[in-house]
Order: sequence, then C-alpha cells, then structure tokens
Amino acid sequence: MIQRLLPFVTLIVLFVALALASPYFLTQTNLSSVVRQTAVINTMALGMTLIIIAGGIDLSVGAILAMSGLLGTMAMEAGAPVGVGMAIGMVTGLFWGFVNGFLTVRLNIAPFIVTLGTLGIVRGLALIISNGLPVHRIPQQFSFLGEGNLLGVPFVLWILVGCALGTHLILEHTRLGRYAFAIGSNPDAAFYTGIAVTFHTTAVYAISGLLCGLAGMIEASRLMTGQPTAGQGYELQVIAAVVIGGGSLRGGEGSVVGTLIGAFIMGLLSNGSDLLGISPYLQQAIIGAVIILAVSVDELRKRKMG
Amino acid sequence: MLLELKGIQKRFGGVVALREGSLAVDRGEVHLLLGENGAGKSTLMKIVAGMLVRDGGEMLWQGRAAAFAQPAEAAVNGIAMVHQESLLAPHLSVAENIFLGREERRPLGWVNRRRMREQAARLIEEHGFPLQAEWRVERLTPAGKQLVEICRAVQHGSSLLIFDEPTSSLSEAESQEVFRIVRRLRERHMGVIYITHRLEELRAIGERVTILRDGNTVHSGALSGLTTERIIQYMVGREVTAIYERTPLAPGEELLRVEKLTRRPLLDGISFSLRAGEIVGLAGLVGAGRTELCRALFGIDPIQAGRVWVCGREVRIRHPREGVRAGLALIPEDRQRNGLAAGLPVSYNLTLASLKTVSWLGFINRRLEREQTSEYIDKLRIRAESGRQLAVRLSGGNQQKVVIAKWLFGQARVFLFDEPTRGIDVGAKVEVFQLMDELAGSGAAILMVSSELPELLQVADRILVMRQGRITGELPGRTTPEEIMRYAALDKQSGAGGEKPE
Repeated sequence: MIQRLLPFVTLIVLFVALALASPYFLTQTNLSSVVRQTAVINTMALGMTLIIIAGGIDLSVGAILAMSGLLGTMAMEAGAPVGVGMAIGMVTGLFWGFVNGFLTVRLNIAPFIVTLGTLGIVRGLALIISNGLPVHRIPQQFSFLGEGNLLGVPFVLWILVGCALGTHLILEHTRLGRYAFAIGSNPDAAFYTGIAVTFHTTAVYAISGLLCGLAGMIEASRLMTGQPTAGQGYELQVIAAVVIGGGSLRGGEGSVVGTLIGAFIMGLLSNGSDLLGISPYLQQAIIGAVIILAVSVDELRKRKMG
Repeated sequence: MLLELKGIQKRFGGVVALREGSLAVDRGEVHLLLGENGAGKSTLMKIVAGMLVRDGGEMLWQGRAAAFAQPAEAAVNGIAMVHQESLLAPHLSVAENIFLGREERRPLGWVNRRRMREQAARLIEEHGFPLQAEWRVERLTPAGKQLVEICRAVQHGSSLLIFDEPTSSLSEAESQEVFRIVRRLRERHMGVIYITHRLEELRAIGERVTILRDGNTVHSGALSGLTTERIIQYMVGREVTAIYERTPLAPGEELLRVEKLTRRPLLDGISFSLRAGEIVGLAGLVGAGRTELCRALFGIDPIQAGRVWVCGREVRIRHPREGVRAGLALIPEDRQRNGLAAGLPVSYNLTLASLKTVSWLGFINRRLEREQTSEYIDKLRIRAESGRQLAVRLSGGNQQKVVIAKWLFGQARVFLFDEPTRGIDVGAKVEVFQLMDELAGSGAAILMVSSELPELLQVADRILVMRQGRITGELPGRTTPEEIMRYAALDKQSGAGGEKPE
C-alpha cells in the first residue's frame, strides 16, 4: 500500500521541496502557469488512460490535437462563433479517435502500428489543409478558454476537473469502463464472456479522440493560433504521465488519479527546473529518469506480491 | 540419496506457501508428489529447480548442501523440470525449442540447425510422438507442447527430472506414452519426481509417495501400503468420498437441440439434444472435436451448416454475445487464456458476464455488485480474502470456481463445461461436481467435456462419444471406460455397431 501511494508522496515531496527552494514557486502567477501548462497534457492523458487500460496505445494524439486546433480555429477565422469552432475541433478529435479504434479492431493490427500510421496521416493532412501556415485571426474572447480565470482559478482547471471526474466515472462506474479493464487484462476472456470487444475498444479510442480535440482547442486558445505543427512529441509526454501514474502498457491497470499525479509530477519537474535555472536539456533527462524509476518501483511492488 | 529436502519454508508476502516441506528421492526411483492445489507442491519443486529461493530449511543434492539461485544453475547440476504450463518459445520450431539454451554449435558460435533437426527428429521418432521437428510450437495443441517439454528435459541428460502434472492435458494414449518414458528414465537410473492430480494413474507409475497439505509434508513412504481413500484423507485432511455419487433427475423439457452441425473439417453432421436437469458427458480422444463443438455452439467459430435450438427457439449464434443472449454459457478448456481476467479483482471477474443485472443505463451499482459477489464467494466457498483480491492470486481450483460463477448470475440455461476439472485438486473437483449437480437440479442442461473417463462415469447421466468430428456413440451413464474407448478410438465399423473390436 505504501508503494502504491508513492507517486502521490513524490508529488507532495516535490511540491514542498520546490516551495522551499524557490520563493516564486508558491505565487499565484506561477501556480496558475503550472496548471495552464499541464492542462493540455493532462486532458490528453485522461483519454490515454482509458486506451492503455484497454490494452491499447495511441501515438497519434499529438497530431489529432494539431488538426483539431487547426480546424476549430479555421472555422472561427471564417466567421463561426467560438462555440461552433470548439465543437468542430472536438468532433475532429472524436472522428480520428474513432478511425484509430475502428482500424485497430477491424483490421486486427497492433494499435502501435495503426496509430503510428494515423500520426503521419493526420499530421500530413493538417499541413496540407493549412498549407503549413498557422491560423491567426481568431476572435479575442476565445482566449478565455486557455487564459481566463473563473472564481479565481484558471478556467482550464475547471475543465480538467470536469474531464477527470467524467473519465473516472466512466472507468469505475460504467460497463464501458469495466469492459475496458477486462479487454486490457485478457481480450480472449473478454470475448469468451460475450463482451462486444469491437464496439467497446472503438468507443475507448473515440473518447480519447474527443479529449484530444478539446486539448487541441485549449492549446490553440493559449497560443491564440491554430498551428498545424502543434503537439509534436506530446504523445510521449502523455504516455509517460499515464505510466508514472501506475498505468501498465500490458493493459488492465491504471487510474485517473494516478494519471493526474503523473502529469503534475512532470509539470512540476519542468516548472521547478525553470525556476531553479536548470537547463532544459537536463530537464529532459530528468523526466526520462523519473519514468524509468516510477515503472521499476511499480514492477518491484508487483513482483513482491507474487 | 539423490535429493533430500528438510523443512523447506517459503513465504510470498504474508502468505505462507511452505511451512515444512520435506521429501527424499533416490536414483532409479519415481517419487510421487501429491497434494491439493495450493498445498505447496509446485512451490517446493520450483525451489529445487532454482526458480524460487527458499526462506528456510535444508536441501541436500547428492549429499551436499545446495541452493540454486537460477534455473540454469539447477540445470547444470542435472535437475530439469517439465512444467504444467508450457514454457516454450512459441515462434520457434520444435527442434529449436528442444535445444533452446543448449544449441548444437559449429565453430565460431554458429548454430548447427541441421544437426539439431536431425537429433530432434530421432528423439521424436524414438518415442513415437505425433510431432515433427520443424513444426512451429505455437501451432501445437497443449498436449503437443507438453511432449516438446518432455523431449527437452530428456534430451538434456539430467539426473533428476521433475514432472509437474504432465498428463493433465494429455489424451489417454499420450499419457501411456508419458508413463513409458518415466519408466525408461527409471531404468536409466535417474530420479523422477512426479506431481499429479490423477489418483488413478499413481500406481501405474510410482512406488514412493510424499503428500503435502497446507505447506506441510503430512506423509512420506511407500505407495503399496496406502489405499486411495487414505491418500485422499492425507491430502484433504478430512473424509471425502472419492467417487462422486449423483442421483440422476428425471429429464425435463428439451433445452438444446443440435441438428447436423458442420464445420469442416473438424465437425461433421453433429446431432444431439440436452434436456433440463441432465448432465451429459462428451467423451473422445484429444482432437476428436469436443472443444470445437463447444466453440461452434457458443459462437466463437462460424459453422457452415446445421441448425440449433435453445429453449425451443431456433437461434443463429455468430458471436459469444449472441450465445450468452440465447442462454448458453461456456466454461472454456483453457481457463487462464480464455476464462479469467487474471489481473483484475475477483469481483470484476464474477460479474463480467452479467454486468447488466447490476447496472442501470450503463452505470454499475457498485454496492449491489459488492453484495452479490460476496454472496457468491461464500456460496461457492471461493477461498479469497475479499472480492477485491486479484484473481491471479487464487489457486487453480478457486480460479475455476470464479470462471464458473460468472455464469451463475445470468440467465444461462445450457452450460457447456469444457474440461472443468483440469488441473484442480480433489476437493475442488468434488465442489465443481456439486455445483453442476445443483445447476442441473435447478433446471439447467449441462454438457460436460472430459478426458478423465472415471469422472464422466461418476457424473454424467449419459455419455456422447466423439471421434474425428462425428458423434460415434451414445451410452448410458453407467457404462465402462472400455466401452467408451471402443467408440472413441476404433473405426466406426467395429465401434458404432457394438461389434467386438478386432
């Protein structure tokens, strides 16, 4: 049990250490900037948690984020209201998530390969649609999504909390979530039990796609541009957050709380390094080491349990 | 003495697997190791074979104190183990697996594949196994894999060979072959430790026996002075009737009717029916198509022709989901692979097939789920700390109960049990039979596939026999193993007509 709490303890220790080490850390400006910076990765990581629990993986999340943000902002540029633009971005994400799920189960190809392929396709399409150029002419009120405050905290925190609650509810309290665990733990047994494996796997990818679409809009709002090149390399950060939080790439394991902790550990590491003047090059190495450390502790715990 | 174990102890976390495991085996001796699942047999043997490190006790190997930290170390010292669950490399050939880790080398470290293939082929031929040296292991049946493991252990010229339930997945003929091999090993003056659950095969093979119960050696000595009843008493620590007595019920309405079901080349024009309250045995040799029949009925494999009625309604089942909806339940042969989500809690496994009954609009009522699962854990005496315990940490018998229990919540009326007692201990077997009996009593129809004829004879009201994808005979429950084997193993001309065999 102590070891299961380790990610949480690490987060607390990191928080306290940073508060002691830097006088700027506990300022409201800094903390809200941490929240804003991690919101995008966090939102995507929620969807990835579902996918990894169901025994899958999605490498195309960064590309989906880019295309969603791009199409959403293009709609706004063309005169659509902010709400419609957001909806377009999210539907774009939903669509590509569905495509990922559909190809994985229908063609029975490993999700690593399928999403490696869609990563290329989606990113390529985004570049073609935009001619490689970012979208700039966006209504000013759209910035509220990424930069606004509601009741004194960043608006994205409310969104994140809402998404986290929703995902937690799906995982722990719905049949879809339970089936995701079963499919990830033993797809054969799930099939033999009469579970509609195809449908539920596709649903999981689609939900993740929807969250990527939302993350794409948040990213676009923070930068106030729709970038076809946005989110490059995010897939690795997202997977890292899930894994640090106790998700297993073998499927059947993971939790929303764990993933949030994982994402915030990475966020704090990066923020702390900035505050303490640690070079961004070293930051990458530190985060890499943390990933390996977190997973080895988890493996040790499991081995001990026999 | 070749090997002596004294008071071996082993704990996993808080669970004591071995308290006082003792055993001694000499050269030229076949030593039987018995005990219920969870008694510590496999743990004790894994310690000998270097797969686990003991917490206490003494181990003497050829008279000298020994401790093997790795399987390779034990192997170098002449100890090999044939495992219950296959530990082969699925993508390699039979020959490559036999020589895995000890490849025939040419100079410069190149592997001599031709030589390995030839030697493997000779070994296979010598034992008359139905294998080919160049076959890929992943395409073999469980029995075939077991044979490869045996070849591998024999090839490596060990002085002590440990068999962990070698015959639990083998057909009668293959089992006989294993016995023959074991006897030959004894003649070559090797020591053999043989773990088994099949009490009827003991006397064919060994002369000395050690019985474990709850991690303790409770008896060790010659087999000749022990009755089977006495052995069972030692194993379970209480009186258990070795033979399960079932009072057949008057069969009710027809619940399953199958006509000319065909799936070439495995199933050919299968017709039969099951009535409420019946337990019907399905006998046959490995490869006769029994598992394939269950799979086809349940919608796992597509059928080419034939009609099926469940509870009087004609159904077309193309997916297990449709099988479940029609009222069927399948307890699969390979429970680790197809039955259990081992990494999930027991309660998740229990409700998996019938989540709808504890949920509303897709949302699970966790409290109701908890109540129902703890009720079934008690009712089936599943030895779990709570519903939250991971299924992987239960013993084989308790895992099987979980796999069966998941169908008890739903509305299934026709149960297909495929080898329900494979690899589980005597006590759990009796409990599984009781469960089947209760199900039949409550109006279900049961088809039970089993390779263990004594079990079929004890439990089934009537017995269907399959051979090469056809049903070749239907016998009353009180028949003899010889009669079943005639239909299962002989040509139709001599078997089905009831004529005397050639």
